[in-house]
Amino acid sequence: MGIKIVPRHGNTLKEKLYLPAIFGGMKTTLSHLITNLSDTPEIKTINYPEEQPHDISERYRGVHRLTKRDDGSVRCVACFMCATACPAECIFIEAEERNDGVDEKMPKRFDIDLLECVFCGACVEACPCDAIRMDSGIFSFIGKKREDFVLSKEQLLANEEKKA
Amino acid sequence: MSTISIAVVIINVILALLFSLGAAPILVWIERRVAGLIQDRLGPNRCHINGIRLGGLIQSFADMLKLVFKEDFKAKAIQESFFFSLAPVIVFASAFLSFMVMPFADDLIINGERFIMQGLPMDLGVLWFLALAGLSVYGIMLGGWSSRNKYSLLGAMRAGAQVISYEAAMGLSVVSVLITYGSIHLGDIVAYQGQLLFGFIPAWGIIIQPIAALIFIITAFAEANRTPFDLAEGESEIVGGFHTEYSAMRFGLFFVGEYVAMSASSALIVTLFLGGYHLPYLNTQTLQAYMPFILMVLIVALPLGSWSAMRWIQKHNRWHKANDIRNHESAFLQKGLIGLNVLVIAGVGALLVLGLSETSTNVATAVIQIATFALKLLFMNFVFVWVRWTLPRFRYDQLQTLGWKVLMPLAIANIFISAIIVVARGL
Repeated sequence: MGIKIVPRHGNTLKEKLYLPAIFGGMKTTLSHLITNLSDTPEIKTINYPEEQPHDISERYRGVHRLTKRDDGSVRCVACFMCATACPAECIFIEAEERNDGVDEKMPKRFDIDLLECVFCGACVEACPCDAIRMDSGIFSFIGKKREDFVLSKEQLLANEEKKA
Repeated sequence: MSTISIAVVIINVILALLFSLGAAPILVWIERRVAGLIQDRLGPNRCHINGIRLGGLIQSFADMLKLVFKEDFKAKAIQESFFFSLAPVIVFASAFLSFMVMPFADDLIINGERFIMQGLPMDLGVLWFLALAGLSVYGIMLGGWSSRNKYSLLGAMRAGAQVISYEAAMGLSVVSVLITYGSIHLGDIVAYQGQLLFGFIPAWGIIIQPIAALIFIITAFAEANRTPFDLAEGESEIVGGFHTEYSAMRFGLFFVGEYVAMSASSALIVTLFLGGYHLPYLNTQTLQAYMPFILMVLIVALPLGSWSAMRWIQKHNRWHKANDIRNHESAFLQKGLIGLNVLVIAGVGALLVLGLSETSTNVATAVIQIATFALKLLFMNFVFVWVRWTLPRFRYDQLQTLGWKVLMPLAIANIFISAIIVVARGL
């Protein structure tokens, strides 16, 4: 490996005058201004509430959803793996016995407090049954009071997978 | 005093108000929209009154209303509440008053009476500006000190040191300009710039005194506390600088004062270096001599300009959602432009058909000169905004080095050179 000598800048008269560089910078900003006023603007902003973002990745961790079995019942077996893995301790599960012969246990209550949640995805990783996922694609969740942000089992089951 | 003289004085005061105070919301709008467009963003464009949003200008008025109606909060630690309240008033009043000596047009002669077209008809000129512009830093220092906050105090100290180092260079650069023009009265200075240099170049200050112009423009940025010299605010280092503790309309006065100071600095730059109210090659006498031709050019040029403006509006002034009330704005603006054209052409045409008397020629000259001054002022303000969104802030020691070691010697050398040239030409 040889030694790379980086030339020092700022010692020539042109660089010490500063003004050529300042005018160069002003030329750049002016060209952006003129382009954006012309017929072909390059404005990157979207008009958000009316225009939705189109570049959200498929792997984006949105609001959680509880998946269903083929017969439409809840897939979760209330094993508490997600609640144990959760670093924010925002998952509250109450288990009950399942009597329909499909499985032995199911959640009676399954609440996620989105105000506590850090959207790390540890619950999805921890789930042995693929019962909780974060692929709903919901990136903005709105509520008028704190209680609105605690999602119940029914709300989580109602969230659909985002279609590409 | 006759009715006409009272009317002219009132018009002058209103014009001074419009150019300084009335310009503040427009400048805020320009600042935010230009910043957005330079950075490939949109900037504020949603606020509207019944669909009229004027490219986002309504947002400025909404912001002003918000500042007026906000709670006037004052921290308990602030004991000198009189000085705390006085500080923004000093900043605002000195910026506002320093605008009052800018001539908008050449002396207007109506029925043999001569009116000086500036807010306060006095001939202190540059001295008045320098005195009041230097005063505004007392407001900043008082505000920073009475806030009882170390960040405010740091901002105030920076502002004080900055103004001391830049006011010297500014004053010296103005001295060389005054040597060249031979007067401190801004009207005389502008009249001098109506001449032609070597018979074909307009004798504008920026051509006769390029070094003084450069130094003055740089120091004017420092004087108005604008980037790249806005260390007194320094929001990335010292929270908000001198106005950290201010809120509501007390902050609003600082905020508006900053823009009024910027407008006043621009007005002085225009007056000293960019030919004031003169159109290039058309000083007052030629303007009056060729008035019918100029009015005819105006009749042709105004519809052409409006036509291209209307095409731009049709293409770009759209709201992205159909059936939104904001979509009606384009039609409104186009109707307004057509109405303006009809009014101006009818007025100017009537003048031309009826024949120009001496008074109407003088008044038309004044109107054209006021419009020229307004356009130049707008351009210079745009340059202030443009530089702000191009250059980063100076480091504190770089600022001092530039002020004391570069600008000041340069200004002194420039005084010697211009004095030698003026004396040599007089021999």
